[in-house]
Amino acid sequence: MEKSLFRYIWTHSKREQLFICFVVLLSQPFYFISLDLPRRIVNEAIQGEAFKDGNVTAPFLQLHFDLPQWLGGGSLRLFDGFEVGRVGLLLGLSCLFLFFVVVNNGFKYWINLAKGILGERMLRRMRFDLFAMVLRFTPEALRTVKSSETATIIKDEVEPIGGFIGDAFITPVLLGMQALTALFFIMVQNVWLGLMALAVIAVQFTIIPRLRRELLRLGKQRQLASRELAGRIGEVLDGIEVVHVHNAYAWERAEIGSRLFALFSIRLKIYNRKFAVKFLNNFLSQVTPFLFYAVGGYFALRGTLDIGQLVAVISAYRELPPPLKELIDWDQQRLDVQVKYDQVTQHFAEERLGPMIDADAEAEAEDQPLAGPLVVEELSLSGPHGDMIIENASFSLALPTTVAMMSNGSPAASMLARVLARRITGFAGRISIGDRDLTQIPMSLSGRRVAYAGVDPIIFPGSIRDNLVYGLRFKPTNRTEADRREVARRVAEAARSGNPFESISDCWIDYARLGLKDELDLDRALVRLLERIGMGESIYLFGLAGRIDPERHVALAERLVEARNRLRETFRSNGMADLVEPFDVDRYNDQASIAENLLFGVPVSGEFMGRNLADSPQFRSAIDRAGLTDGLIKMGLQIAETMTEIFQGLPPGHSLFAQFSFIGAEELPDFQAILRRRARGGHDLRREERTRLLALPLAYIEARHRLGLLDDSLKRQIVEARSFVRGTLEKAGATGVEFYDPDRICMAAPLRDNLLFGRVNYQVADARHRVAEAIAAVIRELDLLEDVERIGLDHEVGAAGRLLSPQERASVNLVRCLVKRPDILIIDGALAPFDEERAGKILHALLGDLEQQSLFMVLSNDRQAGAFDVQMRFNGGRIVADQIADSQGRAQRAAAENAQNIAGEVA
Amino acid sequence: MTLETEVQSLRQVPMFRDIDPARLKLLAFTSERVQFAAGQRFFAQGDPSDAAYVLLDGRASVLLNTPKGEIQVAELSGNALLGEMGILSDTPRSATIVASEPTTALRIDKRVFLELLAQFPQMSLAVMRELAQRLERTNAQLVAQSSS
Repeated sequence: MEKSLFRYIWTHSKREQLFICFVVLLSQPFYFISLDLPRRIVNEAIQGEAFKDGNVTAPFLQLHFDLPQWLGGGSLRLFDGFEVGRVGLLLGLSCLFLFFVVVNNGFKYWINLAKGILGERMLRRMRFDLFAMVLRFTPEALRTVKSSETATIIKDEVEPIGGFIGDAFITPVLLGMQALTALFFIMVQNVWLGLMALAVIAVQFTIIPRLRRELLRLGKQRQLASRELAGRIGEVLDGIEVVHVHNAYAWERAEIGSRLFALFSIRLKIYNRKFAVKFLNNFLSQVTPFLFYAVGGYFALRGTLDIGQLVAVISAYRELPPPLKELIDWDQQRLDVQVKYDQVTQHFAEERLGPMIDADAEAEAEDQPLAGPLVVEELSLSGPHGDMIIENASFSLALPTTVAMMSNGSPAASMLARVLARRITGFAGRISIGDRDLTQIPMSLSGRRVAYAGVDPIIFPGSIRDNLVYGLRFKPTNRTEADRREVARRVAEAARSGNPFESISDCWIDYARLGLKDELDLDRALVRLLERIGMGESIYLFGLAGRIDPERHVALAERLVEARNRLRETFRSNGMADLVEPFDVDRYNDQASIAENLLFGVPVSGEFMGRNLADSPQFRSAIDRAGLTDGLIKMGLQIAETMTEIFQGLPPGHSLFAQFSFIGAEELPDFQAILRRRARGGHDLRREERTRLLALPLAYIEARHRLGLLDDSLKRQIVEARSFVRGTLEKAGATGVEFYDPDRICMAAPLRDNLLFGRVNYQVADARHRVAEAIAAVIRELDLLEDVERIGLDHEVGAAGRLLSPQERASVNLVRCLVKRPDILIIDGALAPFDEERAGKILHALLGDLEQQSLFMVLSNDRQAGAFDVQMRFNGGRIVADQIADSQGRAQRAAAENAQNIAGEVA
Repeated sequence: MTLETEVQSLRQVPMFRDIDPARLKLLAFTSERVQFAAGQRFFAQGDPSDAAYVLLDGRASVLLNTPKGEIQVAELSGNALLGEMGILSDTPRSATIVASEPTTALRIDKRVFLELLAQFPQMSLAVMRELAQRLERTNAQLVAQSSS
């Protein structure tokens, strides 16, 4: 990016800036006319100056221009105007005034809008440029770059710069002109008074920026301190586990506290200084009239100065300070923003960035397979302490092949793997594949043809599918956006602010290249790969816990009710009917909570979920009408009584509270107080107490909690109340609850609940397990497994994949590499989370699936190495490669004999 | 049958006899009541020990695997505590338990039980007392056997 902010702004927006400037200048005559009109209305129309010579009429809209002397004088008569009377002139001039008001405001509106849009475009450009540089950070720079600081730079720090851009050139031009005009007028009236004003202005313009220099230094400090604060908060959040484990709360609180204090101190200094400067600035602008009155008055008394002139000078001076002040403020803002800009560009200093990735040029590079021999000549690699990890190693391998890189505890294997994957660029020697030098292969090609799975699976938030296809999105293949006009607008806007034209809603996956037909085919391939590495079960379970989108999962949605009925039939015919209590609109479900029994549906919006339900006015009015409120509050009291009795004495925060209690440890005293008050005979419950008590029984499940609070009549009442609840919610147009219907899908409920359409009996031993088996059997029977697994692909992985187990994260990481069908697959510790048996199975599956592809795998020992074509050992900087079988799997040859052929095992 | 009746049943179990009623209620509340059909297994010999059971209603047989097949060594009924040794000693099940008729039991989860023991010394003492008494009885039986 340009070193100077102004150059950056000028380079990218000079056309707009000039155009806005031009419009501003254009607007000025209108502005002056509108200032002049009130005088004319008063003088000419009301006081009648235009009619003073006994004229009955006066010209209106007369367009005469007096030519200056040097053009020969005289006047140019364009239009003589209409002859109108006094009232006519008054109305005409007033309407003219109104017209100019509209014109001026129109100009103002356009200028503000144009400035705003310009600023926003430049802000967009700047943010995008910065983000593009984020992608270019070198691996070395990334060790010191903090992610949260970078985020706050792009998000917050450039924001004021964007706001300033619209004013960057226009404000000084406009204000400067106004100030110069006023100054010129004073000069014309009286040179000495003009010079006096000029002197004060000169003082203002030299002293104040100097005083503000300190302010800038403080501003710089403030910016860094607040950036570090953001960084620190991000770090604490990322490492929150360590804070918990080591009880470092006090330390972290003190750490942030002291940062806030430092920040406060800086801001305090800034305020002190800022207002002191403001005071001086105001004082200096008031000093000039003082001089005019004193000095000018003195000369007027002495008779050397005409009083009229003095009055004119003073009134002209009144026009001078506002633009001056604003100009000085603008200058302050300019410096401020320049400092911010400098700080931002320093963060993205050129030496921290890798080479520019020219996406367009690279896209041109043809997509050829990486084939031919892999030749490594005199490769040397040094470790972080300057020690040589690999020294002058040379070897060559015919691709495709499979290579076991046995590390034997040294980092050499992993480093060589990363060199091949181009994760390490600093090495000596030469590596080539076919006739291409590894370092010369365009990134776009190696990105497609090489896949690297390291120890830390990096998972982005989103669904499992999003993560799996991440490596397939090189460039959009075709546009899917329906609205052409919207596309054109988006692209035009992107062009104006240097942003990319591609949209993520385009179709980015080239199915044909993968040998697939469409999205469905891809899903199938993904599921198959996940199954191959043993994640099929998880995907199936995620699918059961997932929600159905009838538009995307048409087949499943159509057959779901059938599967539901089939499952019911299975239960009935196998004597398992007691395992699941189905939802029946006419019967109370003992296995479901009271809330679920009342709603007979699944809450969609937060206001009907959990305890919030007790707060919902619609729900309250419904159970009031059903006459349930008092009964439920009584239940609430009974629950509170039992909970306070049995959880008494457990320390707050004990896991049993969270797992079993209706009442949190911190609420226990409140409920105890309510109960004590009632025990003393107080019957009046406050409104909020009633709500709190009402919330308790909502979560009560008779079969699970067994407090014996529900009798048959109460259950009947609850079942009857369903229609009231539904009626009230539907009448109020509330869409917060999706009601159960045995013949329809409930989209708010997970797939498993949709299949069961009931609740598993808490009181039958081993019921969950048996139900799960029955569900699996029905899904297989109806051939819905694939659809369920596709829903499983929609499962959200959470921030950094925290909702997945380490094994699942590793599986996603692997499949992300496999689905690309890379020519060279490099696995460097990606199987670490698996136990040896599972890792062995995965390895077997990987080797079995290779077609004309090479696999380089870092292994810690040689237990699995037998299955590879080549075994590579790393020892004291040397590499020894033994070929066991050649890549086509022909007869195995003696390892010792080949060691000589291939192993250019030099040290 | 409600929590109260379960507490009554727990009180009949020698190991829980001396425990505070509020604690017993907590124990019952944090347990699950489960029904077993006739012939359904509680657990099999060699399974990991994940819970103890108190028989509330019905009967269950204790089976041991022998080279000659499974043999029944005992039958348990009302208020019997079973499977507690496994969760205390953290060893696999030493026998198979099968419901001999439709049976209702209270399932006490291992983790919850151990947490309760850790939290309330009175409960731990009651368990220790019961274990010590069992040891004493076994010793007495051994003495009786060796002297006979």
